Amino acid sequence: MPGADKETDLGERIEAFLAELKRGGRGSGETARSTAALLRRITAQARWSSAGDLMEIIRKEGRRMTAAQPSETTVGNMVRRVLKIIREEYARSRGSSEEADQQESLHKLLTSGGSSEENFRQHFAPLKANVIEAINELLTELEGTTDNIAMQALEHIHSNEVIMTIGRSRTVEAFLKDAARKRKFHVIVAECAPFCQGHEMATSLSEDGIETTVIPDAAIFAVMSRVNKVIIGTQTVLANGGLRAVNGTHTLALAAKHHSTPLIVCAPMFKLSPQVPGQNSLTCVNAHCPVFDYVPPELITLFISNIGGNAPSYIYRLMSELYHPEDHEL
Amino acid sequence: RYTLLINCSFWCHLTAELVEYFRTQMSQDPDVASAVAAIRSLLEFLKRDQSETILGLRENLTKAIGRLQEADSSVAVSSGGELFLRFISLTSLENPDLSQCRNVMIERGELFLKKISLSRGKVAKLCHTFIKDGAKILTHSSSRVVLKVLESAAADKKRFTVYVTESQPDSAGKLMADKLRRLNIPVTVVLDAAVGYIMEKVDLVIVGAEGVVESGGIINKIGTYQMAVCSKAHNKPFYVVAESFKFVRLYPLNQQDVPHRFKYKADTLKTAEDLNQEHPIIDYTPPSLITLLFTDLGVLTPSAVSDELIKLYL
Repeated sequence: MPGADKETDLGERIEAFLAELKRGGRGSGETARSTAALLRRITAQARWSSAGDLMEIIRKEGRRMTAAQPSETTVGNMVRRVLKIIREEYARSRGSSEEADQQESLHKLLTSGGSSEENFRQHFAPLKANVIEAINELLTELEGTTDNIAMQALEHIHSNEVIMTIGRSRTVEAFLKDAARKRKFHVIVAECAPFCQGHEMATSLSEDGIETTVIPDAAIFAVMSRVNKVIIGTQTVLANGGLRAVNGTHTLALAAKHHSTPLIVCAPMFKLSPQVPGQNSLTCVNAHCPVFDYVPPELITLFISNIGGNAPSYIYRLMSELYHPEDHEL
Repeated sequence: RYTLLINCSFWCHLTAELVEYFRTQMSQDPDVASAVAAIRSLLEFLKRDQSETILGLRENLTKAIGRLQEADSSVAVSSGGELFLRFISLTSLENPDLSQCRNVMIERGELFLKKISLSRGKVAKLCHTFIKDGAKILTHSSSRVVLKVLESAAADKKRFTVYVTESQPDSAGKLMADKLRRLNIPVTVVLDAAVGYIMEKVDLVIVGAEGVVESGGIINKIGTYQMAVCSKAHNKPFYVVAESFKFVRLYPLNQQDVPHRFKYKADTLKTAEDLNQEHPIIDYTPPSLITLLFTDLGVLTPSAVSDELIKLYL
């Protein structure tokens, strides 16, 4: 039966995706794209009759995916984006304004009359097509993020500047290479032990003709006085404007603060996560070689994302536009 | 003129009843937030008020709020009153006809009261996940919201110890310590002057707030600012727990900017000859010292607070 075939095929694809997640090793951009593609496939092939059913299915799969690889937060972020898309499309189909029933706010507390429980049970025929269309737009946005960020490079990097970075970030690599087409500047890369990804970054940058120097992590503070700007990538941007970035970034941020050097973070919007530091930390774990650092928002000067430059204190606003508060906990 | 006199005396009687009702609310249920009691009293006032026009209703309500503030000069009553006035304005915009409007207002008012009485529970649910096993918590004076948070954390089988400041001049910290002991939470009372001394031992600081101002800072019992400065110096997170009805439209730039009617008790304001000789009972903590605010609208950074207020008032 074609229905059953579709379902088993879908189930297999989800299992394959989970296995790949557990293996790890993919960049976050790729993970985000494949997650969105998988969610589009679920929307197209799974059996559902109302928006509420679809949201339940996606939430369930989302929980399994985040459990497979908890450190890869882009998976959860994409699930939340898709859930928000479904809510918006549902509201649009119903004809109510998109502003209504979105966030909890004082205004909503005062003006709502009667129960405003939205249970998403109504069936709309064009909903499936609309949601798939919206997910396609999301995929297009995802494909263009690195280019959008790199396009802003010329505004921030000037001639004869010394830029410092740490480890290897594909976003920062594209950012620097785009600026190098028109400007001449010097890059210092901290190698970022123990995986020493900084070496690959330096090789890649010098292949494009950028003058690069590799330094050990211990030399970060010593060299910082000669640096004009620090540009880094990150694994996740947290809800309070802080970062979860590769080990050694906090040291870099503190050294930059001490020398009053601006710290610029290049992070696409899909890395924005509703988590706050301090919640759900692991107990009973002895970490001898932590993989990630927490960098508090006070040490960060600017976030450059595919939608432009923003201050860390504005991150909460971007979050409220990307995700619905009820989806913070999947 | 005769009818005017009758209305006047009727109105005076009504406001006296209002203040009585408010005082009864506060004494009958010591756990209720003062803003909730104020809003409940104002709703009762609304039901009995006899104005013929919406403008008249607003004027009466403004005067009534003024009387309430004379009875209890805390920031919470002021924010509750302003919120209620805003509620009236928003509702009256939708229903220009007064009698219809009044019914809608009363219905929505009851609903609003029901929602905000649940706020404390929502805040506690959000905050207690931030308390880890073995944590040492410092708090200031007596706050019902902080008590609820600690209660939820204890119910979640977390083990933690609490340090409470004595909080002079009314020793409210000792009351807080008693309540915590009843919940079987190990607690130590420390002197207000010992905050700097104890700060190196604690893991996090949680305080309540009487009012949350537009900048994201808070107004709370005197001694809170000191605690915030110390926790910043020691790099300890400083968390504030407050319900959303405490958001108030003030923007103080320093301690002197906070209006006198909040700083001193109502009786002190009336009887004191030189206010400079009186001790203020609250202080202002600027947003730069606050790590996160836990409210029933979610976990907010101080910069998100002004966003909420703008959404409501503009």
